Amino acid sequence: MAAQEYPAPESVSRLQTRAFGVGAMALLLAIYGAIHSPETFFPSYLMSFLLVLGLALGSLGLVMLQHLTSGHWGIIIRRPLESATRTLPLLAVAFLPIAIFGMRYLYAGHGDDKGWLNAPASGEGALSAFQKNYLTHNGYLIRAVIYFAVWLALMFIFNVLSKQQDTNRTDRALRQRFKILAGPGIILYVFAMSFAAIDWVMSISPHWASTIYGFLFVAGQLISSMAFMIAVVVLLARTEPFAGILQPRHLHDLGKLLLAFVMLWAYFDFSQLLIIWSGNLPEEISFYRTRLYGEWGIVAVIVVVFHFFVPFFLLLSQDLKRNAKVLPKIALWLILMRLIDLFWMTRPEFTSSAVPSWLDLVLPIALGGLWLGFFAFNLRQCPLLPLGDPDLAEAIKNHEH
Amino acid sequence: MEHHRSHIYGVMAEFDAPEQLIHAVEKTREAGYHRMDAYTPFPVEGLAHAMGLKRNMVPFITLLGGLAGGLGGFGFQYWAAAISYPQNIGGRPLNSWPAFIPVTFELTVLGAALCAVFGMLALNRLPQPHHPVFNVKRFVHATSDRFYLCIEARDPKFHVAETARFLQGLHPHHVTEVVYD
Repeated sequence: MAAQEYPAPESVSRLQTRAFGVGAMALLLAIYGAIHSPETFFPSYLMSFLLVLGLALGSLGLVMLQHLTSGHWGIIIRRPLESATRTLPLLAVAFLPIAIFGMRYLYAGHGDDKGWLNAPASGEGALSAFQKNYLTHNGYLIRAVIYFAVWLALMFIFNVLSKQQDTNRTDRALRQRFKILAGPGIILYVFAMSFAAIDWVMSISPHWASTIYGFLFVAGQLISSMAFMIAVVVLLARTEPFAGILQPRHLHDLGKLLLAFVMLWAYFDFSQLLIIWSGNLPEEISFYRTRLYGEWGIVAVIVVVFHFFVPFFLLLSQDLKRNAKVLPKIALWLILMRLIDLFWMTRPEFTSSAVPSWLDLVLPIALGGLWLGFFAFNLRQCPLLPLGDPDLAEAIKNHEH
Repeated sequence: MEHHRSHIYGVMAEFDAPEQLIHAVEKTREAGYHRMDAYTPFPVEGLAHAMGLKRNMVPFITLLGGLAGGLGGFGFQYWAAAISYPQNIGGRPLNSWPAFIPVTFELTVLGAALCAVFGMLALNRLPQPHHPVFNVKRFVHATSDRFYLCIEARDPKFHVAETARFLQGLHPHHVTEVVYD
Protein backbone atom coordinates (compact mmCIF):
# COMPACT_ATOMS: atom_id res chain seq x y z
CA MET A 1 0.00 0.00 0.00
CA ALA A 2 1.25 3.45 -0.84
CA ALA A 3 2.35 5.50 2.14
CA GLN A 4 -0.46 7.82 3.14
CA GLU A 5 -0.57 10.37 5.88
CA TYR A 6 -4.33 10.34 6.57
CA PRO A 7 -4.80 14.03 7.44
CA ALA A 8 -7.99 15.10 9.21
CA PRO A 9 -10.67 16.17 6.72
CA GLU A 10 -12.19 19.62 6.37
CA SER A 11 -15.21 18.56 8.45
CA VAL A 12 -13.02 18.41 11.57
CA SER A 13 -11.96 22.05 11.30
CA ARG A 14 -15.60 23.03 10.72
CA LEU A 15 -16.50 21.07 13.85
CA GLN A 16 -13.77 22.91 15.74
CA THR A 17 -15.03 26.37 14.73
CA ARG A 18 -18.67 25.58 15.47
CA ALA A 19 -18.00 23.84 18.77
CA PHE A 20 -15.81 26.70 20.01
CA GLY A 21 -18.45 29.21 18.90
CA VAL A 22 -21.38 27.48 20.59
CA GLY A 23 -19.30 26.69 23.66
CA ALA A 24 -18.09 30.28 24.05
CA MET A 25 -21.61 31.71 23.79
CA ALA A 26 -22.97 29.21 26.30
CA LEU A 27 -20.04 30.02 28.58
CA LEU A 28 -20.98 33.72 28.60
CA LEU A 29 -24.52 32.82 29.65
CA ALA A 30 -23.10 30.47 32.28
CA ILE A 31 -20.85 33.17 33.72
CA TYR A 32 -23.91 35.35 34.17
CA GLY A 33 -25.51 32.42 36.02
CA ALA A 34 -22.42 31.99 38.18
CA ILE A 35 -22.54 35.61 39.33
CA HIS A 36 -26.31 35.70 39.67
CA SER A 37 -26.87 32.43 41.58
CA PRO A 38 -23.69 30.60 42.50
CA GLU A 39 -25.58 28.12 44.69
CA THR A 40 -27.36 26.66 41.64
CA PHE A 41 -24.36 27.21 39.38
CA PHE A 42 -21.83 25.03 41.17
CA PRO A 43 -23.81 21.77 41.48
CA SER A 44 -24.59 22.15 37.80
CA TYR A 45 -20.96 22.92 37.01
CA LEU A 46 -19.79 19.85 38.91
CA MET A 47 -22.15 17.63 36.90
CA SER A 48 -21.06 19.12 33.56
CA PHE A 49 -17.40 18.96 34.52
CA LEU A 50 -17.73 15.27 35.40
CA LEU A 51 -19.41 14.50 32.07
CA VAL A 52 -16.64 16.14 30.06
CA LEU A 53 -13.94 14.71 32.34
CA GLY A 54 -15.42 11.30 31.57
CA LEU A 55 -14.90 11.77 27.84
CA ALA A 56 -11.21 12.55 28.38
CA LEU A 57 -10.41 10.08 31.15
CA GLY A 58 -12.43 7.26 29.60
CA SER A 59 -10.31 7.79 26.51
CA LEU A 60 -7.15 7.62 28.60
CA GLY A 61 -8.35 4.29 30.00
CA LEU A 62 -9.23 2.99 26.53
CA VAL A 63 -5.86 4.05 25.07
CA MET A 64 -4.12 1.94 27.69
CA LEU A 65 -6.63 -0.89 27.33
CA GLN A 66 -6.09 -1.14 23.58
CA HIS A 67 -2.31 -1.16 24.03
CA LEU A 68 -2.71 -4.11 26.40
CA THR A 69 -5.18 -6.12 24.37
CA SER A 70 -4.35 -5.09 20.77
CA GLY A 71 -7.18 -5.53 18.29
CA HIS A 72 -8.16 -3.75 15.13
CA TRP A 73 -10.84 -1.70 16.90
CA GLY A 74 -8.10 -0.02 18.94
CA ILE A 75 -6.01 0.90 15.93
CA ILE A 76 -9.01 2.52 14.23
CA ILE A 77 -9.86 4.75 17.22
CA ARG A 78 -6.38 5.24 18.68
CA ARG A 79 -5.81 8.72 17.28
CA PRO A 80 -9.25 10.04 18.31
CA LEU A 81 -8.65 8.52 21.76
CA GLU A 82 -5.26 10.22 22.06
CA SER A 83 -6.75 13.50 20.87
CA ALA A 84 -9.40 13.19 23.58
CA THR A 85 -6.75 12.58 26.26
CA ARG A 86 -4.87 15.69 25.16
CA THR A 87 -7.85 17.77 26.31
CA LEU A 88 -6.88 17.02 29.93
CA PRO A 89 -5.06 20.37 30.38
CA LEU A 90 -8.39 22.07 29.60
CA LEU A 91 -10.05 19.95 32.26
CA ALA A 92 -7.39 20.86 34.79
CA VAL A 93 -8.22 24.52 34.08
CA ALA A 94 -11.93 23.75 34.24
CA PHE A 95 -11.42 22.37 37.73
CA LEU A 96 -10.10 25.71 38.99
CA PRO A 97 -13.55 27.36 39.44
CA ILE A 98 -14.52 24.49 41.76
CA ALA A 99 -11.25 24.72 43.68
CA ILE A 100 -11.27 28.50 44.00
CA PHE A 101 -14.94 29.48 44.29
CA GLY A 102 -17.04 26.35 44.33
CA MET A 103 -16.01 24.41 47.42
CA ARG A 104 -18.12 26.39 49.86
CA TYR A 105 -21.20 25.90 47.69
CA LEU A 106 -20.58 22.19 47.24
CA TYR A 107 -19.16 20.92 50.54
CA ALA A 108 -20.65 23.17 53.21
CA GLY A 109 -24.00 21.36 53.47
CA HIS A 110 -27.50 22.82 53.58
CA GLY A 111 -29.33 24.17 56.60
CA ASP A 112 -29.03 21.70 59.45
CA ASP A 113 -27.16 19.17 57.31
CA LYS A 114 -23.59 20.34 57.61
CA GLY A 115 -21.02 19.45 54.96
CA TRP A 116 -17.45 18.50 55.74
CA LEU A 117 -16.23 22.08 55.28
CA ASN A 118 -18.27 23.34 58.24
CA ALA A 119 -18.98 20.18 60.25
CA PRO A 120 -19.34 20.67 64.00
CA ALA A 121 -16.29 19.64 66.01
CA SER A 122 -18.29 17.25 68.16
CA GLY A 123 -21.79 15.93 68.72
CA GLU A 124 -24.28 15.05 65.97
CA GLY A 125 -22.95 15.48 62.45
CA ALA A 126 -19.31 15.56 63.54
CA LEU A 127 -16.74 13.95 61.27
CA SER A 128 -14.87 10.84 62.33
CA ALA A 129 -11.28 11.18 63.53
CA PHE A 130 -9.96 10.04 60.16
CA GLN A 131 -12.26 12.35 58.21
CA LYS A 132 -11.13 15.31 60.29
CA ASN A 133 -7.63 14.77 58.96
CA TYR A 134 -8.57 13.70 55.45
CA LEU A 135 -11.46 15.93 54.41
CA THR A 136 -9.75 19.28 54.83
CA HIS A 137 -9.67 22.26 52.52
CA ASN A 138 -5.96 21.90 51.80
CA GLY A 139 -6.07 18.13 51.63
CA TYR A 140 -8.78 18.39 48.97
CA LEU A 141 -6.68 20.77 46.88
CA ILE A 142 -3.42 18.84 47.25
CA ARG A 143 -5.10 15.59 46.27
CA ALA A 144 -6.72 17.25 43.24
CA VAL A 145 -3.23 18.33 42.13
CA ILE A 146 -2.03 14.74 42.51
CA TYR A 147 -4.93 13.30 40.49
CA PHE A 148 -4.35 15.69 37.62
CA ALA A 149 -0.59 15.11 37.80
CA VAL A 150 -1.14 11.35 37.43
CA TRP A 151 -3.56 11.74 34.51
CA LEU A 152 -1.48 14.37 32.73
CA ALA A 153 1.66 12.25 33.11
CA LEU A 154 -0.10 9.22 31.62
CA MET A 155 -1.49 11.37 28.82
CA PHE A 156 1.97 12.76 28.12
CA ILE A 157 3.69 9.35 28.07
CA PHE A 158 1.25 7.67 25.71
CA ASN A 159 1.01 10.61 23.32
CA VAL A 160 4.78 11.08 23.08
CA LEU A 161 5.41 7.37 22.48
CA SER A 162 2.68 7.32 19.86
CA LYS A 163 4.25 10.25 18.05
CA GLN A 164 7.63 8.48 18.13
CA GLN A 165 6.01 5.44 16.57
CA ASP A 166 4.84 7.57 13.64
CA THR A 167 8.41 8.51 12.74
CA ASN A 168 10.21 5.29 13.79
CA ARG A 169 7.91 2.95 11.95
CA THR A 170 10.21 -0.02 12.15
CA ASP A 171 10.91 0.23 15.87
CA ARG A 172 9.21 -2.86 17.30
CA ALA A 173 10.51 -2.14 20.83
CA LEU A 174 8.03 0.74 21.11
CA ARG A 175 5.07 -1.59 21.13
CA GLN A 176 6.61 -3.53 24.00
CA ARG A 177 7.09 -0.29 25.91
CA PHE A 178 3.42 0.62 25.33
CA LYS A 179 2.38 -2.69 26.80
CA ILE A 180 4.66 -2.48 29.82
CA LEU A 181 3.43 1.02 30.67
CA ALA A 182 -0.25 0.41 29.95
CA GLY A 183 -0.83 -2.15 32.71
CA PRO A 184 0.36 -0.03 35.65
CA GLY A 185 -1.13 3.00 33.87
CA ILE A 186 -4.65 1.57 34.02
CA ILE A 187 -4.24 0.85 37.73
CA LEU A 188 -3.06 4.42 38.36
CA TYR A 189 -5.94 5.90 36.36
CA VAL A 190 -8.56 3.83 38.23
CA PHE A 191 -7.02 4.57 41.64
CA ALA A 192 -6.81 8.30 40.98
CA MET A 193 -10.36 8.40 39.59
CA SER A 194 -11.71 6.41 42.51
CA PHE A 195 -10.18 8.81 45.02
CA ALA A 196 -11.27 11.79 42.93
CA ALA A 197 -14.87 10.52 42.92
CA ILE A 198 -14.74 10.22 46.70
CA ASP A 199 -13.30 13.73 47.12
CA TRP A 200 -15.38 15.55 44.55
CA VAL A 201 -18.75 13.83 44.71
CA MET A 202 -19.12 11.31 47.52
CA SER A 203 -17.92 13.83 50.11
CA ILE A 204 -21.01 15.96 49.39
CA SER A 205 -22.68 13.69 51.94
CA PRO A 206 -19.75 13.01 54.27
CA HIS A 207 -21.53 10.47 56.48
CA TRP A 208 -22.30 8.08 53.67
CA ALA A 209 -19.72 5.78 52.07
CA SER A 210 -19.59 3.13 49.38
CA THR A 211 -16.46 1.25 48.36
CA ILE A 212 -17.57 0.70 44.75
CA TYR A 213 -18.32 4.39 44.25
CA GLY A 214 -15.22 5.19 42.18
CA PHE A 215 -15.87 2.28 39.86
CA LEU A 216 -19.30 3.68 39.02
CA PHE A 217 -17.52 6.69 37.59
CA VAL A 218 -14.82 4.66 35.83
CA ALA A 219 -17.42 2.46 34.13
CA GLY A 220 -19.46 5.54 33.21
CA GLN A 221 -16.36 7.17 31.73
CA LEU A 222 -15.67 4.11 29.58
CA ILE A 223 -19.25 4.28 28.26
CA SER A 224 -18.93 8.01 27.50
CA SER A 225 -15.63 7.62 25.73
CA MET A 226 -16.56 4.57 23.67
CA ALA A 227 -19.85 6.18 22.67
CA PHE A 228 -18.05 9.36 21.67
CA MET A 229 -15.50 7.39 19.63
CA ILE A 230 -18.27 5.63 17.70
CA ALA A 231 -19.79 9.00 16.81
CA VAL A 232 -16.36 10.35 15.80
CA VAL A 233 -15.35 7.49 13.51
CA VAL A 234 -18.73 7.53 11.78
CA LEU A 235 -18.37 11.28 11.25
CA LEU A 236 -14.84 10.82 9.89
CA ALA A 237 -15.98 8.03 7.58
CA ARG A 238 -18.26 10.44 5.73
CA THR A 239 -15.27 11.87 3.86
CA GLU A 240 -11.85 10.82 2.63
CA PRO A 241 -9.40 9.60 3.83
CA PHE A 242 -11.42 7.59 6.36
CA ALA A 243 -14.31 6.75 4.04
CA GLY A 244 -12.75 3.59 2.62
CA ILE A 245 -11.29 2.49 5.93
CA LEU A 246 -14.15 2.12 8.37
CA GLN A 247 -15.89 -1.20 7.86
CA PRO A 248 -18.88 -2.83 9.50
CA ARG A 249 -16.59 -5.23 11.37
CA HIS A 250 -14.92 -2.26 13.11
CA LEU A 251 -18.27 -0.81 14.16
CA HIS A 252 -19.33 -4.27 15.26
CA ASP A 253 -16.34 -4.49 17.63
CA LEU A 254 -16.84 -0.96 18.98
CA GLY A 255 -20.54 -1.70 19.49
CA LYS A 256 -19.73 -4.90 21.35
CA LEU A 257 -17.39 -3.01 23.67
CA LEU A 258 -20.03 -0.33 24.23
CA LEU A 259 -22.49 -3.07 25.20
CA ALA A 260 -19.90 -4.58 27.54
CA PHE A 261 -19.31 -1.21 29.24
CA VAL A 262 -23.05 -0.60 29.63
CA MET A 263 -23.33 -4.00 31.30
CA LEU A 264 -20.28 -3.33 33.49
CA TRP A 265 -21.76 -0.02 34.61
CA ALA A 266 -25.12 -1.62 35.38
CA TYR A 267 -23.38 -4.40 37.29
CA PHE A 268 -21.43 -1.95 39.47
CA ASP A 269 -24.46 0.25 40.06
CA PHE A 270 -26.66 -2.67 40.98
CA SER A 271 -24.01 -4.21 43.26
CA GLN A 272 -24.04 -1.08 45.38
CA LEU A 273 -27.84 -1.12 45.64
CA LEU A 274 -27.94 -4.84 46.48
CA ILE A 275 -25.41 -4.58 49.30
CA ILE A 276 -27.04 -1.52 50.83
CA TRP A 277 -30.51 -3.05 50.43
CA SER A 278 -29.40 -6.27 52.12
CA GLY A 279 -27.65 -4.50 54.97
CA ASN A 280 -30.51 -2.02 55.48
CA LEU A 281 -28.43 0.10 57.85
CA PRO A 282 -29.58 3.67 58.64
CA GLU A 283 -26.25 5.31 57.76
CA GLU A 284 -26.03 3.48 54.42
CA ILE A 285 -29.57 3.81 53.07
CA SER A 286 -29.53 7.63 53.03
CA PHE A 287 -28.10 7.56 49.49
CA TYR A 288 -31.12 5.67 48.16
CA ARG A 289 -33.66 7.30 50.48
CA THR A 290 -32.98 10.56 48.69
CA ARG A 291 -32.67 9.00 45.23
CA LEU A 292 -35.37 6.34 44.90
CA TYR A 293 -38.40 8.31 46.13
CA GLY A 294 -40.27 11.40 45.03
CA GLU A 295 -39.11 13.23 41.94
CA TRP A 296 -35.67 11.62 42.09
CA GLY A 297 -37.37 8.23 41.96
CA ILE A 298 -38.69 9.13 38.51
CA VAL A 299 -35.16 10.02 37.41
CA ALA A 300 -33.96 6.69 38.82
CA VAL A 301 -36.50 4.81 36.69
CA ILE A 302 -35.48 6.83 33.63
CA VAL A 303 -31.83 5.92 34.25
CA VAL A 304 -32.56 2.21 34.69
CA VAL A 305 -34.78 1.98 31.62
CA PHE A 306 -33.00 4.30 29.18
CA HIS A 307 -29.40 4.03 30.35
CA PHE A 308 -29.52 0.25 30.71
CA PHE A 309 -32.47 -1.72 29.34
CA VAL A 310 -33.10 0.12 26.06
CA PRO A 311 -29.43 0.38 24.96
CA PHE A 312 -28.80 -3.16 26.22
CA PHE A 313 -31.51 -4.74 24.07
CA LEU A 314 -30.68 -2.57 21.06
CA LEU A 315 -26.97 -3.39 21.28
CA LEU A 316 -27.69 -7.12 21.45
CA SER A 317 -28.56 -6.98 17.76
CA GLN A 318 -25.70 -7.71 15.40
CA ASP A 319 -27.37 -5.75 12.60
CA LEU A 320 -27.67 -2.59 14.69
CA LYS A 321 -24.05 -2.78 15.84
CA ARG A 322 -22.89 -2.98 12.22
CA ASN A 323 -25.20 -0.17 11.10
CA ALA A 324 -23.34 3.13 10.62
CA LYS A 325 -26.63 5.05 10.80
CA VAL A 326 -28.11 3.56 13.97
CA LEU A 327 -25.05 2.81 16.13
CA PRO A 328 -23.90 6.46 16.48
CA LYS A 329 -27.45 7.42 17.48
CA ILE A 330 -27.41 4.85 20.28
CA ALA A 331 -23.96 6.15 21.23
CA LEU A 332 -25.03 9.80 21.42
CA TRP A 333 -28.11 8.74 23.35
CA LEU A 334 -25.83 7.06 25.90
CA ILE A 335 -23.79 10.25 26.33
CA LEU A 336 -27.03 12.10 27.13
CA MET A 337 -27.89 9.33 29.57
CA ARG A 338 -24.50 9.73 31.20
CA LEU A 339 -25.45 13.36 31.89
CA ILE A 340 -28.77 12.30 33.43
CA ASP A 341 -27.06 9.66 35.54
CA LEU A 342 -24.56 12.25 36.78
CA PHE A 343 -27.50 14.57 37.51
CA TRP A 344 -29.01 11.79 39.65
CA MET A 345 -25.69 11.01 41.32
CA THR A 346 -24.65 14.56 42.21
CA ARG A 347 -27.79 16.62 42.71
CA PRO A 348 -30.24 15.08 45.24
CA GLU A 349 -28.15 16.32 48.19
CA PHE A 350 -28.75 19.88 47.02
CA THR A 351 -32.44 19.83 46.19
CA SER A 352 -35.40 17.49 46.46
CA SER A 353 -36.67 18.83 43.13
CA ALA A 354 -35.50 16.89 40.10
CA VAL A 355 -36.49 19.65 37.68
CA PRO A 356 -33.30 20.85 35.99
CA SER A 357 -32.45 24.56 35.99
CA TRP A 358 -31.48 26.47 32.85
CA LEU A 359 -27.85 26.15 33.92
CA ASP A 360 -28.16 22.35 33.62
CA LEU A 361 -28.71 22.91 29.92
CA VAL A 362 -26.27 25.76 29.37
CA LEU A 363 -23.29 24.41 31.32
CA PRO A 364 -23.04 21.02 29.58
CA ILE A 365 -23.21 22.89 26.26
CA ALA A 366 -20.55 25.38 27.39
CA LEU A 367 -18.05 22.86 28.72
CA GLY A 368 -18.97 20.26 26.11
CA GLY A 369 -18.63 22.75 23.26
CA LEU A 370 -15.24 24.04 24.37
CA TRP A 371 -14.09 20.49 24.97
CA LEU A 372 -15.30 19.32 21.56
CA GLY A 373 -13.55 22.25 19.88
CA PHE A 374 -10.31 21.42 21.66
CA PHE A 375 -10.73 17.76 20.72
CA ALA A 376 -11.19 18.66 17.05
CA PHE A 377 -8.13 20.91 17.23
CA ASN A 378 -6.09 18.02 18.69
CA LEU A 379 -7.37 15.61 16.06
CA ARG A 380 -6.01 17.86 13.33
CA GLN A 381 -2.49 17.78 14.76
CA CYS A 382 -1.65 14.22 13.77
CA PRO A 383 -2.47 11.57 11.15
CA LEU A 384 -5.85 9.93 11.74
CA LEU A 385 -4.26 6.50 11.97
CA PRO A 386 -1.19 5.31 13.93
CA LEU A 387 1.11 4.98 10.93
CA GLY A 388 3.80 3.07 12.78
CA ASP A 389 1.56 0.41 14.28
CA PRO A 390 2.75 -2.97 12.97
CA ASP A 391 -0.86 -4.17 12.62
CA LEU A 392 -2.15 -1.11 10.76
CA ALA A 393 -2.24 -2.72 7.29
CA GLU A 394 -4.13 -5.73 8.61
CA ALA A 395 -6.50 -3.53 10.63
CA ILE A 396 -7.67 -1.49 7.66
CA LYS A 397 -7.65 -4.34 5.13
CA ASN A 398 -11.04 -4.88 3.56
CA HIS A 399 -11.95 -8.55 4.04
CA GLU A 400 -15.43 -8.20 2.65
CA HIS A 401 -14.25 -7.75 -0.93
CA MET B 1 -32.65 -44.08 -13.23
CA GLU B 2 -34.88 -42.90 -10.39
CA HIS B 3 -33.83 -45.83 -8.25
CA HIS B 4 -30.19 -45.21 -9.05
CA ARG B 5 -30.41 -41.57 -8.07
CA SER B 6 -32.09 -42.30 -4.73
CA HIS B 7 -29.10 -44.10 -3.28
CA ILE B 8 -26.67 -41.40 -4.32
CA TYR B 9 -26.11 -38.74 -1.67
CA GLY B 10 -24.10 -36.47 -3.92
CA VAL B 11 -20.85 -35.92 -5.77
CA MET B 12 -17.77 -34.79 -3.91
CA ALA B 13 -14.61 -33.08 -5.10
CA GLU B 14 -11.35 -32.99 -3.17
CA PHE B 15 -9.06 -29.93 -3.18
CA ASP B 16 -5.56 -29.26 -1.95
CA ALA B 17 -5.92 -25.76 -0.62
CA PRO B 18 -8.62 -23.60 1.01
CA GLU B 19 -8.36 -20.96 -1.75
CA GLN B 20 -9.18 -23.60 -4.38
CA LEU B 21 -12.18 -24.67 -2.32
CA ILE B 22 -13.51 -21.13 -2.01
CA HIS B 23 -13.01 -20.62 -5.74
CA ALA B 24 -14.84 -23.90 -6.45
CA VAL B 25 -17.71 -22.91 -4.15
CA GLU B 26 -18.09 -19.61 -5.97
CA LYS B 27 -18.11 -21.33 -9.37
CA THR B 28 -20.61 -23.92 -8.14
CA ARG B 29 -23.02 -21.27 -6.97
CA GLU B 30 -22.58 -19.39 -10.25
CA ALA B 31 -23.50 -22.63 -12.03
CA GLY B 32 -26.81 -22.61 -10.16
CA TYR B 33 -26.27 -25.25 -7.49
CA HIS B 34 -27.53 -24.47 -3.99
CA ARG B 35 -27.53 -27.74 -2.06
CA MET B 36 -23.91 -28.22 -1.16
CA ASP B 37 -21.63 -28.49 1.81
CA ALA B 38 -17.93 -27.93 2.33
CA TYR B 39 -15.71 -29.97 4.65
CA THR B 40 -12.41 -28.58 5.90
CA PRO B 41 -9.84 -29.55 8.54
CA PHE B 42 -9.97 -26.05 10.05
CA PRO B 43 -12.29 -23.02 9.84
CA VAL B 44 -11.66 -21.28 6.50
CA GLU B 45 -12.23 -17.55 6.52
CA GLY B 46 -14.60 -16.37 3.81
CA LEU B 47 -16.00 -19.84 3.15
CA ALA B 48 -19.36 -19.20 4.81
CA HIS B 49 -19.60 -15.96 2.86
CA ALA B 50 -18.74 -17.74 -0.42
CA MET B 51 -21.35 -20.42 0.28
CA GLY B 52 -23.93 -17.70 0.83
CA LEU B 53 -24.89 -19.11 4.23
CA LYS B 54 -27.74 -17.15 5.72
CA ARG B 55 -27.96 -16.09 9.33
CA ASN B 56 -29.27 -18.90 11.48
CA MET B 57 -31.78 -19.09 14.31
CA VAL B 58 -29.28 -19.69 17.14
CA PRO B 59 -29.18 -16.05 18.37
CA PHE B 60 -32.98 -15.90 18.48
CA ILE B 61 -33.24 -19.23 20.33
CA THR B 62 -30.59 -17.98 22.76
CA LEU B 63 -32.58 -14.79 23.38
CA LEU B 64 -35.72 -16.80 24.06
CA GLY B 65 -33.77 -19.05 26.44
CA GLY B 66 -32.39 -16.03 28.27
CA LEU B 67 -35.79 -14.39 28.59
CA ALA B 68 -37.38 -17.64 29.77
CA GLY B 69 -34.59 -18.20 32.31
CA GLY B 70 -34.76 -14.63 33.60
CA LEU B 71 -38.55 -14.39 33.84
CA GLY B 72 -38.77 -17.89 35.31
CA GLY B 73 -36.05 -17.17 37.84
CA PHE B 74 -37.63 -13.93 38.97
CA GLY B 75 -41.15 -15.37 38.87
CA PHE B 76 -40.25 -18.34 41.01
CA GLN B 77 -38.60 -16.18 43.66
CA TYR B 78 -41.53 -13.79 43.66
CA TRP B 79 -43.95 -16.69 44.04
CA ALA B 80 -41.90 -18.26 46.84
CA ALA B 81 -41.28 -15.06 48.80
CA ALA B 82 -44.49 -13.12 48.26
CA ILE B 83 -47.25 -15.69 47.61
CA SER B 84 -46.40 -19.18 48.74
CA TYR B 85 -44.50 -18.48 51.96
CA PRO B 86 -44.57 -14.76 52.81
CA GLN B 87 -42.13 -13.83 55.56
CA ASN B 88 -41.26 -10.47 57.08
CA ILE B 89 -37.48 -10.28 56.74
CA GLY B 90 -36.06 -7.23 58.47
CA GLY B 91 -39.09 -5.17 57.52
CA ARG B 92 -38.36 -5.35 53.80
CA PRO B 93 -41.25 -5.63 51.35
CA LEU B 94 -42.29 -9.15 50.40
CA ASN B 95 -41.32 -8.44 46.82
CA SER B 96 -37.74 -7.63 47.81
CA TRP B 97 -36.69 -7.47 44.17
CA PRO B 98 -33.05 -6.39 44.51
CA ALA B 99 -32.40 -9.63 46.40
CA PHE B 100 -33.93 -11.60 43.50
CA ILE B 101 -31.70 -10.14 40.82
CA PRO B 102 -28.55 -12.30 41.26
CA VAL B 103 -30.54 -15.53 40.83
CA THR B 104 -32.51 -13.96 37.98
CA PHE B 105 -29.26 -13.04 36.28
CA GLU B 106 -27.75 -16.51 36.77
CA LEU B 107 -30.83 -18.22 35.36
CA THR B 108 -30.85 -15.82 32.40
CA VAL B 109 -27.29 -16.90 31.62
CA LEU B 110 -28.10 -20.56 32.19
CA GLY B 111 -31.19 -20.47 29.97
CA ALA B 112 -29.36 -18.59 27.23
CA ALA B 113 -26.31 -20.87 27.35
CA LEU B 114 -28.32 -24.12 27.31
CA CYS B 115 -30.46 -22.85 24.44
CA ALA B 116 -27.37 -21.72 22.51
CA VAL B 117 -25.68 -25.13 22.81
CA PHE B 118 -28.70 -27.37 22.30
CA GLY B 119 -30.24 -25.05 19.73
CA MET B 120 -27.02 -25.21 17.73
CA LEU B 121 -26.95 -29.03 18.01
CA ALA B 122 -30.60 -29.35 17.01
CA LEU B 123 -30.26 -27.03 14.00
CA ASN B 124 -27.19 -28.99 12.88
CA ARG B 125 -29.19 -32.22 13.36
CA LEU B 126 -26.54 -33.45 15.78
CA PRO B 127 -25.66 -35.89 17.21
CA GLN B 128 -25.44 -37.86 13.99
CA PRO B 129 -23.40 -41.06 14.34
CA HIS B 130 -23.10 -41.62 10.61
CA HIS B 131 -23.08 -39.50 7.49
CA PRO B 132 -22.94 -40.65 3.84
CA VAL B 133 -19.70 -38.74 3.18
CA PHE B 134 -17.93 -41.15 5.56
CA ASN B 135 -18.51 -43.84 2.91
CA VAL B 136 -15.83 -42.16 0.81
CA LYS B 137 -12.55 -43.72 1.90
CA ARG B 138 -10.43 -40.67 1.15
CA PHE B 139 -12.66 -38.49 3.32
CA VAL B 140 -10.39 -39.22 6.34
CA HIS B 141 -8.16 -36.50 4.91
CA ALA B 142 -10.84 -33.94 5.75
CA THR B 143 -9.46 -33.96 9.28
CA SER B 144 -5.87 -33.32 8.21
CA ASP B 145 -4.94 -31.74 4.88
CA ARG B 146 -7.68 -31.86 2.24
CA PHE B 147 -10.71 -29.71 1.46
CA TYR B 148 -13.98 -31.17 0.18
CA LEU B 149 -16.97 -29.81 -1.63
CA CYS B 150 -20.03 -32.04 -1.94
CA ILE B 151 -22.92 -31.14 -4.23
CA GLU B 152 -25.92 -32.99 -2.90
CA ALA B 153 -28.40 -35.06 -4.88
CA ARG B 154 -31.36 -33.16 -3.47
CA ASP B 155 -30.31 -30.12 -5.49
CA PRO B 156 -32.85 -29.73 -8.31
CA LYS B 157 -30.06 -29.20 -10.81
CA PHE B 158 -28.23 -32.36 -9.73
CA HIS B 159 -27.39 -35.02 -12.31
CA VAL B 160 -24.76 -37.61 -11.40
CA ALA B 161 -22.75 -37.56 -14.61
CA GLU B 162 -23.15 -33.88 -15.42
CA THR B 163 -22.43 -32.68 -11.92
CA ALA B 164 -19.34 -34.90 -11.77
CA ARG B 165 -18.20 -33.47 -15.10
CA PHE B 166 -18.80 -29.95 -13.82
CA LEU B 167 -16.73 -30.62 -10.69
CA GLN B 168 -13.95 -32.14 -12.82
CA GLY B 169 -13.81 -28.81 -14.64
CA LEU B 170 -12.79 -27.09 -11.37
CA HIS B 171 -9.50 -29.05 -11.36
CA PRO B 172 -9.89 -30.96 -8.12
CA HIS B 173 -7.62 -33.72 -6.91
CA HIS B 174 -10.41 -36.26 -7.11
CA VAL B 175 -14.13 -36.47 -7.82
CA THR B 176 -16.09 -39.24 -6.11
CA GLU B 177 -19.71 -40.27 -6.01
CA VAL B 178 -21.05 -40.36 -2.47
CA VAL B 179 -23.48 -43.25 -1.95
CA TYR B 180 -25.71 -44.27 0.94
CA ASP B 181 -24.74 -47.73 2.17
